[in-house]
Amino acid sequence: MAKEMSKNQSLYIKKVNKRKLSGSLEFTTSRLSWQITLAFTLYFAYMATKGSVIWAAAAGVYGLGFLMQYYIIKRIIKEVTGESGEISSTTRKMGWLLLPYILIGDFFMFSAGCMLVKKEKNIEYQLSVYSLQVTIFILIVSALNLFKEEQSDTFWLGMGLYALYAIFNVVIIGAVNKYTFSKKPDKKFMPFAVICILGIALGNVFSFLLGIIAIGKYRNKNEEISVNWIDVIRRLFKNYMAVVGMFIVIFLLSVSIASSLTFDYDIAISNNFMARLAKPSLMYPFGCDEYGRCVFTRIIFGARISLIVGIVSTLAPIVAGGLLGAIAGYYGGKTDNIIMRLLDVLNAVPSILLAIAIIAAFGTSTINLILALSIGGIPGYARTVRAQVMGVANQEFVEAAKACGAKDATVILRHIIPNSLAPVIVGATMGIGSAVLSTSSFSYLGIGVPSHIPEWGNVLKAGSQFLESNPYIAIFPGLAIIIIVLAFNYFGDGLRDALDPKLK
Amino acid sequence: MKKLLALALSVVMAFSMVACGSNDEKPKVETKPETITILGQSSGEADLNILRDQLTKAGYTVEINMQPDYSSFQSALSAGNYDLALTGWTTVTGNVDYAVRGIFHSTGDYNNSPIVDEKIDELVDKGATETATQAVSTYSELESYLVGEKAYIVPLYSTMKNLAYNNQLVKSESVSQPKSRPGRWEMFEYVDSKLNETRPLVLTQSSSTPSTLDPIQANDGTMNSLSGNMYIKIVNLTDDDQITTDSSLSHSYAIAEGNNEYYFLLRDDVFFSKAENGHAANTGVMVGGEDVVYSLERACNKDSVASHKTYTLHNHMQTIEMVTDLNELNTVKDSDTGATILDTLKKGIDGEITALTNKDENVDNANGTYQVIKVTTTQPFPQVLNYLAHQSAGILNKEQVEAYNSKFSVESYDPTKDVCYGDFAAVKSGDSNMLWCSGPYQFISVDDYGIKFEANPGYMADEKEFTSKINNIYMKFIKDASAANSAFRAGEIDVISITKTSDIPTIEQDSKFTVMSRPSNGVTYCTFNLKEGSKFNNVDLRLSVLHAINQEEFVAFNDGYVMPVYSTVGTILETGNKHVFDLNKSAEHLAAYQATVA
Repeated sequence: MAKEMSKNQSLYIKKVNKRKLSGSLEFTTSRLSWQITLAFTLYFAYMATKGSVIWAAAAGVYGLGFLMQYYIIKRIIKEVTGESGEISSTTRKMGWLLLPYILIGDFFMFSAGCMLVKKEKNIEYQLSVYSLQVTIFILIVSALNLFKEEQSDTFWLGMGLYALYAIFNVVIIGAVNKYTFSKKPDKKFMPFAVICILGIALGNVFSFLLGIIAIGKYRNKNEEISVNWIDVIRRLFKNYMAVVGMFIVIFLLSVSIASSLTFDYDIAISNNFMARLAKPSLMYPFGCDEYGRCVFTRIIFGARISLIVGIVSTLAPIVAGGLLGAIAGYYGGKTDNIIMRLLDVLNAVPSILLAIAIIAAFGTSTINLILALSIGGIPGYARTVRAQVMGVANQEFVEAAKACGAKDATVILRHIIPNSLAPVIVGATMGIGSAVLSTSSFSYLGIGVPSHIPEWGNVLKAGSQFLESNPYIAIFPGLAIIIIVLAFNYFGDGLRDALDPKLK
Repeated sequence: MKKLLALALSVVMAFSMVACGSNDEKPKVETKPETITILGQSSGEADLNILRDQLTKAGYTVEINMQPDYSSFQSALSAGNYDLALTGWTTVTGNVDYAVRGIFHSTGDYNNSPIVDEKIDELVDKGATETATQAVSTYSELESYLVGEKAYIVPLYSTMKNLAYNNQLVKSESVSQPKSRPGRWEMFEYVDSKLNETRPLVLTQSSSTPSTLDPIQANDGTMNSLSGNMYIKIVNLTDDDQITTDSSLSHSYAIAEGNNEYYFLLRDDVFFSKAENGHAANTGVMVGGEDVVYSLERACNKDSVASHKTYTLHNHMQTIEMVTDLNELNTVKDSDTGATILDTLKKGIDGEITALTNKDENVDNANGTYQVIKVTTTQPFPQVLNYLAHQSAGILNKEQVEAYNSKFSVESYDPTKDVCYGDFAAVKSGDSNMLWCSGPYQFISVDDYGIKFEANPGYMADEKEFTSKINNIYMKFIKDASAANSAFRAGEIDVISITKTSDIPTIEQDSKFTVMSRPSNGVTYCTFNLKEGSKFNNVDLRLSVLHAINQEEFVAFNDGYVMPVYSTVGTILETGNKHVFDLNKSAEHLAAYQATVA
């Protein structure tokens, strides 16, 4: 009996500890950090066995990072599950050691470090840290072009601007620390917030979110009640994997904008037989394909097409399907029947077949590809929105609006659609991932983007013929596709949890 | 202040994103971008990409029109909505006339551009009558006029033939790779001779729809090797393009003084086969002089079939007849040795020629009764022998062909209704396998996946060296070169000709595979759209494209498995002409063209 009690007891303690740890941002970031850093260390060590000094050095540096990180996480576990439940200031100071690792591209250690060094962390602080990280990452990736024989004309301009932007991001972190830790951000922070919003022009969504959150909080009249959408973002940032996914997506978005300055499109597209099938090196980080085009540069430029096609071909069916679904759900009856039966017809055609038919009829081009991918997605979104609208349309606030004499269009657009968007947003994030995948599949089959245009499916196809002799040509674009789809999926998962009212 | 600075900074960044860098080395001459549409097949995707890249670098705006297969490529070609077409030519007869007549002569069957130039016609006709040594200067002149001066074609490279086989399965000595003619299936032998009777040898080709199985109605890669092994010829080419009677219907041949008359002494041990109950059966009908006369007259008569695709190869033949008078052979002298024709012909047999006959049923070689075919050409034309060795000179059975082709007249022939001899669709549908084969292999049946062949049981019973060793051959259709390569490595195919040179190293790694490579007569080049209204009727514009092409890049891309070439003549004769890559020249010609337009 007593034995069982103690068993229950220890199980209980285990659960409590687990809950304590998972609530600690320091623990979750550090855990992923040591795992990934160890994986990198092992990979570099394996590469070093082939006798390369650079790989050995990289393995050494990463190995050291891993040891530090592992020691730190042991301390964190001990302290969090300990009596005080607080992380000691000594441990926090150790976080500074992790920060320099951003310079060799270890995102995870930098995140863990940033979360550790600061005791009080609000959403603005996290956003400003990630915003800085995206910028530094772009600088690092762009700096790889220094090993090329020549850089694009605007390379130094781009590097200079991004370096300034990175410094500005550091300033923002300082400002965030100074002005935003009270209930309401200080008025002095507002100019920074405006500039942060402008960061969206560079694809830096973190910076954009930081700006609008600060302004949203500032304009919130009742300090006791938190703003709903800010809560959603806060919940989203509690899920570390979702943040990692979001980081990757935003990084790719930013880098595809930055690449117009810091990357040379010629290297991606023009043949250079001197470098035919070159092995990965500092000059060509991912090697060269059979035409001597730098695979790394092609992947960077490919992100642009993949993201544009992915996003547009997801948004277009959402708008079309969303409207149709809303009308069908709101009016019901015959309208519903006609719209939904027509969409059923569309739904009955396999979407990939439909897309192939559209491309075969209108020819291969990016626009046709987007069109082909969009049309197949309409019925799915229409169904989702219709179901949601049917639930919302019977609620009191809609009746109230109607009673006030609002027109149907107003009711649908202002009251019903905003209240039924959540599942669509989640569906969209997941949808972008699969749209990216479809784009690549179509290119791989030779019916998407013309084959010399750097698109991930094209890059993969060029490599697939050399899987045996030069596997790296196919592995890197393959990894890129896997990573972006995974990133969108994790991000979508996190968003779903954040939007779910039951999980508030 | 700091805020203002930062604000200004982000605005600058937002604007500068629009800018995009490029640092091309521009030629000295100023030109505007000129659009050019390149037509090709998906099998030539790599070449199209290199062309696109090179022409882009020369200041063109390039559009690619890539068709999935040969037939859609052909229809796009005849529709004429292109500027430059990527195409190729293989001189399967090994003589120069063939390398130029069909594609550059204004009457050529495959002159698609079309090139209409009196000087070219004149030079082609002149070269045809000359002996090999005289002809070199004529063809050299033709080449430099065709390419260097007028730029009617843009030469890219000449290919190598690469054949791979499984050396554990197929006897190495039995595999050969002829330079021009299609491979000789009757020579193949298994290492384990017990398999010869039972195991089908699997070969592959990319097209699953041969244009026809009538030798004279097509001359393309979809049916060349099929027809070449289904029908016997009265002479043959060796692997190195020399004329021989080995494996042909003749014991021997002779050229009469004046190079106008050609004599062939026929064998009597070759019989037509037919498909019966899924196997090859001997029809008991001998392949005789009457069939030879009929087949060759058919080949040189433009109106013998509705779609005659090999007429220009054979229009030099004036008459084809059987010699009945032994005295004729005794009086006419051989052009080389000066001996009588009879003496020259007799060298091919052991016994004596005691009588000649023009009736197939009277032939009896054992008792000295022979048939002799005499071909008279319109002008002295020694290259006629190469054409007689071509698959289009394959011998058909007169009765069998007429049984089908007499049902309709050539003028009213409707391919959707009428079934002519060799109609592939009719054979495939299974309604009628009308094919009577005189060659080593009989066509049995075909489906979507491949063609079954079986050895002709009545083929050269007297000469074991040339009879088929392997009883069954299966020609598997695999459209994609990489897929064919994988199938070969997986053991699904026994012998393969490799078109994608990047596959060769991976195949060579495996010791059970042997790869044979040799220069071939295949040339890849581009033709311009010279139809009325096309801007490429301007010679400056064509020259501009010609000089923008860098053949070295094609060589580099193919790891040296292709060679630079100047024209289709270059693989057969040493003319000394060389293609020049010069972006400045290209720009000059482009500017000259643009000046005339403006």
